[in-house]
Amino acid sequence: MIEMENINKVYKMGEVSLDALKEVSLSIEPGEFISIMGPSGSGKSTLLNIIGCLDTPTSGSYFLEEKNVAGLSLDQLSAVRNRKIGFVFQNFNLLPYATTYENVELPMLFNGKSGKKRRQRVIELLEMVGLVNRQLHRPSELSGGEQQRVAIARALANDPAMILADEPTGNLDSKTGVEIMGLFVRLQQQGRTILMVTHDTNIAAYSQRTINLLDGRII
Amino acid sequence: MIFIFFRNLFRDLRRQPLRTSMTLSGVGWGTFAVVLLLAFGSAVGRQNMISFRGVGQGFVIAFPASTTLPYQGLPKGRLVRLTPEQVTLTGRKVPGIKRMAFEFTASRPIRYGREDVLNTVRGVPVEYGDIRNIIAGKGRYLNDTDMALKRRVCVLGNTVTENLFHKEEAVGRAILIEGIPYTVVGVMKKKIQTSNFSGQPDEHCAFIPWTTYSAIFGDKYIGSLIFQPGNPAASKRITRLVREDLGNRAGFSPDDKDALFVWDWTEVERSFSIFFLAFNIFLGVIGAFTLLVGGVGVASIMLVVVEERTKEIGIKLAVGAKRRHILWQFFAESLTIVLFGGGLGFLCAALVLRAIPVEKIKDYVGIPEINPAVGIVTILILLTIGIVSGLMPARKAASTNPIEALRK
Repeated sequence: MIEMENINKVYKMGEVSLDALKEVSLSIEPGEFISIMGPSGSGKSTLLNIIGCLDTPTSGSYFLEEKNVAGLSLDQLSAVRNRKIGFVFQNFNLLPYATTYENVELPMLFNGKSGKKRRQRVIELLEMVGLVNRQLHRPSELSGGEQQRVAIARALANDPAMILADEPTGNLDSKTGVEIMGLFVRLQQQGRTILMVTHDTNIAAYSQRTINLLDGRII
Repeated sequence: MIFIFFRNLFRDLRRQPLRTSMTLSGVGWGTFAVVLLLAFGSAVGRQNMISFRGVGQGFVIAFPASTTLPYQGLPKGRLVRLTPEQVTLTGRKVPGIKRMAFEFTASRPIRYGREDVLNTVRGVPVEYGDIRNIIAGKGRYLNDTDMALKRRVCVLGNTVTENLFHKEEAVGRAILIEGIPYTVVGVMKKKIQTSNFSGQPDEHCAFIPWTTYSAIFGDKYIGSLIFQPGNPAASKRITRLVREDLGNRAGFSPDDKDALFVWDWTEVERSFSIFFLAFNIFLGVIGAFTLLVGGVGVASIMLVVVEERTKEIGIKLAVGAKRRHILWQFFAESLTIVLFGGGLGFLCAALVLRAIPVEKIKDYVGIPEINPAVGIVTILILLTIGIVSGLMPARKAASTNPIEALRK
């Protein structure tokens, strides 16, 4: 699924340069559920951004489903994100003025899926996360757990092979967090690869493998 | 897909009703100003040209005066006298002259029934009417037979006709000029005349055949000659040739500028056209700047909008929006504001132009209207401003870094 070799990421801030990732090599098989852990500033988010094709490495090679994505243009990376990757964020990142339905539909608007197929898929996903009766509500009218379920439905819109979650339970109470993790476990059982950044060892316990980062290196 | 695009577009615009309506009204006001300025500008230019041509079209007029240079042994200070025959011959000889005419002019008593006026009577050839835009509104203008037979016929200016005849029909009636009867064969069509020379404006004049004038009043020498160059741009050259030819015939030096006082109306007309062209460009520029201010408003508001919606852009990029999706979203928003505001301004301007009491102002400023030129210029300015003011914020939006945007 993912083959990373000697990935470096250097942030230049004026004269000072910061090595966010140093010689990171990583291999992830399809269907794995992996937690990325580490203290603040250890490079977790940078790694997740690079895996998620939101960012590009300064050097090193990154193969996603046997395709080198290190040299792709911004629009090509957008297409990869659109089809192969679903994002779930700590603060949900839903469009505040759009309804549940429209939020879930959003990724499908960028790859030319027909209206009928989009409708079917949105309903299917909302059934899966149990929010069909909430489809005309806006995020402000939903609880945190419900918002995160909308975000998960959105992440699954284009049926990606991989879900990237950045502290998905960070803004939820523990009971709701458990519910969300239940959803992730179900997704993994369906064969999806899941990568999750977390601070919480209880949450990390849902995964099969944990990658620990410290100062930009895997330990 | 297109439906969703427009649904989102209008939802985005509706989310900030005050901001949207302020930007709309900025562009609307600009368009309103541009349309009105251009409509009035072109109407004023047109109307002034019409009024200006009331005196005639593309002609040169020359008044014989007295010599200031000796010529072939003749002393200076002699009166220059020109006969109709000399002028006619010159008109035939000098190449490039389209029409040559002359006139005898004097104030004379004109009478019909109990009405008595002292107005300008002009003895003229047939060509005179064409040069001076004297068109018969009723009856006819003077013709060659009138000239040849020295008929006692006249064409009256429209105002003198009203003064003499009031509501009565004038054509076919006889009037007295210096006590001698003339048949009215035509009444001049009303024209607006802002310039004039020797005597009253045409609406007050009586025009009679020059042959009749000469025979009855005994005048041998013309008051002025007037000609139309075929090509107005060549008027200078033709005027010099006319001077030379007449000088030979009447005995004055072609270098004696004062012997023949020349008034080149084509030159005045040229500078007049240039003035109105400049005037319209000036109005257009003012209008365009007004509209530009509206455009700057749109651009700066859109930059704020892009800034405010950075997170939204980040989310869209994260789920796979390409740069052109973002670019179009914001570009369409600016363009919609500009075109919609422009449409509103256009509509208001059209309504105002409709509500203007045209009849009252027509003679001075013409009929202001949205002609194709005004429409096309306005639309071009609007489109340019829409594209320029929309593209900058849209490009900024499209270059958003998704990671930084999501952090907001």
